[in-house]
Amino acid sequence: MRAIVTGAARGLGAAIAERLARDGADVVLLDVSADVTATADRLAADVAGAGGGRGQVAVGLAADVSDEIASAAAVDRAVDAIGGVDVLVNNAGIGGPDTDVTGTSLAEFRRVLDVNLTGTFLMCRAVAAVMIGQGSGGAIVNMGSVFGQQGVAGGAGYCASKAGVALLTHSLALELAPYGIRANTIAPGNMATEMHWDELRSRAARSGTTFGEQVELVKASVPLGRHGTGGDIAGVVAWLVSPDAGYVTGQTIGVNGGIWFS
Amino acid sequence: MPGRMAGRRALVTGGAGAIGLACARRLLAEGADVVLLDRNADALSATAIGAAPVACDIRAPGAVAAAVTRAAGLLNGPADVLVNSAGVYRIAPLLDLTPDEWDDMLAVNLRGTFLAGRAMAAALIAAGRPGAIVNISSTAGLVADAAEPSAHYNASKAGVLALTRQMAAEWAPHGIRANAVCPGVIDTPMLRMMDDPAAGAAYLRTGVPQGRLGSAEEVAAAVVFLASDDASYLTGATVPVDGGVTAI
Repeated sequence: MRAIVTGAARGLGAAIAERLARDGADVVLLDVSADVTATADRLAADVAGAGGGRGQVAVGLAADVSDEIASAAAVDRAVDAIGGVDVLVNNAGIGGPDTDVTGTSLAEFRRVLDVNLTGTFLMCRAVAAVMIGQGSGGAIVNMGSVFGQQGVAGGAGYCASKAGVALLTHSLALELAPYGIRANTIAPGNMATEMHWDELRSRAARSGTTFGEQVELVKASVPLGRHGTGGDIAGVVAWLVSPDAGYVTGQTIGVNGGIWFS
Repeated sequence: MPGRMAGRRALVTGGAGAIGLACARRLLAEGADVVLLDRNADALSATAIGAAPVACDIRAPGAVAAAVTRAAGLLNGPADVLVNSAGVYRIAPLLDLTPDEWDDMLAVNLRGTFLAGRAMAAALIAAGRPGAIVNISSTAGLVADAAEPSAHYNASKAGVLALTRQMAAEWAPHGIRANAVCPGVIDTPMLRMMDDPAAGAAYLRTGVPQGRLGSAEEVAAAVVFLASDDASYLTGATVPVDGGVTAI
């Protein structure tokens, strides 16, 4: 298996890349941050050291997925590095501003749409063309969000971008089914990531509470009583890209500890 | 993934049916101990796949309670995986559907799922152990179908989804996850769509993006994923395994 994972320098993307590598994939890690090179090097060493994984290659590439030229060039380089691509995981995303619609600038709104939705479109377009050319099928997993299924005051741009990702993915699933390429969305809930902690810091500042109080409030709202982890998402990605999910396409899989039933 | 279910104790209802049997085989292959429940004792004993058979009428509270207790004895502890795949399917336009047919359908598909889930969860909670329930619903619980009318089946499977969410909400504090799989057109003896091969083939071309029937093994792969720790943060989720039918 040859996989490209975006937003892979840290957090969920790094956990997904690690799981796929341990399951035997060659992986290209893509991120807008140059830190991705170090993450890939560390992953390559870890997987080799563990001995259990069969993944041979972990390469880090720095590129902005929302840049049409740069993302296409990154896909070319990735395909060169691992000899093709069977799996694409679009995990790159930003939280966007924590502001009401009336206080959100056009530039801020466009930025979150650009990265989360347009970036996913650009990566899907470039990689699907390669997969179709290979003629051997493939699997695409795009990161939506529970906040693409329910609204959040102060998060309109983010919510709109993630709802858009789900319908982009499902349309893509219909277009790519004849080529044996499956496309699904994962909708994570509240994850223990820097993006989520940033949001809780912002909420704490706005409401005059502490960060710790905000963390506890979220945990109390989750039936399973905890934040999700990178491992929780990676397990679902591993299933969706495997032959075990061979008859699953065009779906949104909620991975949210029970806060939203979809 | 051999070993993913090692040490797990699994109970599969409708264990002599195609999907139940496929789930049992996959659970066994991944290292779980398995007990099969089915009302058809002869069909059960004929499976001979290495799972212990227990005959049980899933509609009867006393029978279900006794079977869950018996399974705990066979498994050396309460089951921590329950696959509710006991189910029946009949075609009947609403104007011809009798109240008795309605009640019989709901008794197996919905009441049976409730009874088995409650008995399993009660034993697990009493033992203070976590677990996972996977209920077999159907895409028929999500969409209507005029060509193959079965309101009582569809209602029972939609009911299973609501039941699954309530199991998830009430039992999450006990570490019990509950999720539902919605199979689409799956190649099993229960499938009626291919009885008319030409019409069936036409539907596969136009109504199923992947253009083919699914297999019981593909449903079982989703079920065992949901029961495994790979799905540790999923609860109350509905997972269609339908070749893209519900994406259209």
